[in-house]
Amino acid sequence: MTGSSGPLPGSLLLRIARSVFNDQLIAAVVQPTISDLQREIADAGASRSRRVRARWRGYRAFWRIMIVAPFASWPSSAPDTGAVAFPDVVARLGAASILVALIAIIGPVLGVWAAVITAIGGLCAIVLHRWYDRHPSDLPVPPEPQRSATPQINFSSTEVAGNIGGLIFVVGSVFIVAVGLPSVIWFLFTATIAGCGVAWALATWHTKHPRWGLPKNRIDLH
Amino acid sequence: MADDGVSALPRKERLILELLASTGPMYGLQLVEHSDGALKRGTVYVTLGRMEAKGLVESQQEPLAPGAIGLPRRIYRPTALGERMLRAWTAFTRELAWEMKP
Repeated sequence: MTGSSGPLPGSLLLRIARSVFNDQLIAAVVQPTISDLQREIADAGASRSRRVRARWRGYRAFWRIMIVAPFASWPSSAPDTGAVAFPDVVARLGAASILVALIAIIGPVLGVWAAVITAIGGLCAIVLHRWYDRHPSDLPVPPEPQRSATPQINFSSTEVAGNIGGLIFVVGSVFIVAVGLPSVIWFLFTATIAGCGVAWALATWHTKHPRWGLPKNRIDLH
Repeated sequence: MADDGVSALPRKERLILELLASTGPMYGLQLVEHSDGALKRGTVYVTLGRMEAKGLVESQQEPLAPGAIGLPRRIYRPTALGERMLRAWTAFTRELAWEMKP
């Protein structure tokens, strides 16, 4: 590609990717994808239809890797180095989109007051979460010998293939409610889509922080 | 197979190694074109990144021509380890097919 005026094709996509992924993934995956986009647009020449098709193919490839890359894993030579950076803006956007989706669904179905209460509840949840981030508590954990003394059937403490058991429980519960209240079936679909978005965001964050342990600024109760 | 550090070769990685071994060093887009739809644009670089981390392929950025703008492309070639893995896997599947012949 030789000199041209205006921003290069894919410049905005690269900026979007830099806000989500770390340098390793940018260099290995994102830059080659955008390079292909730029090359194809340049090869399309003056033909508008070919340039549009090249852009479409390039953008589709980019958004495909945006969805797939956070779940991809490969061995890294550096310890504690994940494939993805996860800025707070992604978490905030995720939480805001879930809240808006909930209000948009609940309002027409259950009325204005239900939507207002849902919005207030969502805001309270966000405020509590932010407060806890700044003032986390040290949860008591029994010593190892006592923990295994009395075996318990405790689903919440069982790691089942990335907590898929919890996902099945949640989806099943909502489905049962939706069957009993057919008017809220759309909530199930919207919540599933929003949940997938949250899962994507969590996967990106945990890839960056593989050994996330207790928070540093703990409240010491002793 | 995991105990001695040798892992299975996933289908897409095997396909990439076969293409690189038969055709020579290629760009990612060329791999997609030669794969008859088995490899997808964008995600092929996720697979190539994983293979590079495993040491099966290596990549090199092409130098930009003077005055050229835009991002440089990467050209990929198999490493010696990648070629050995491909030969071992090909021999293994051939033996397995022969053993399973009625």
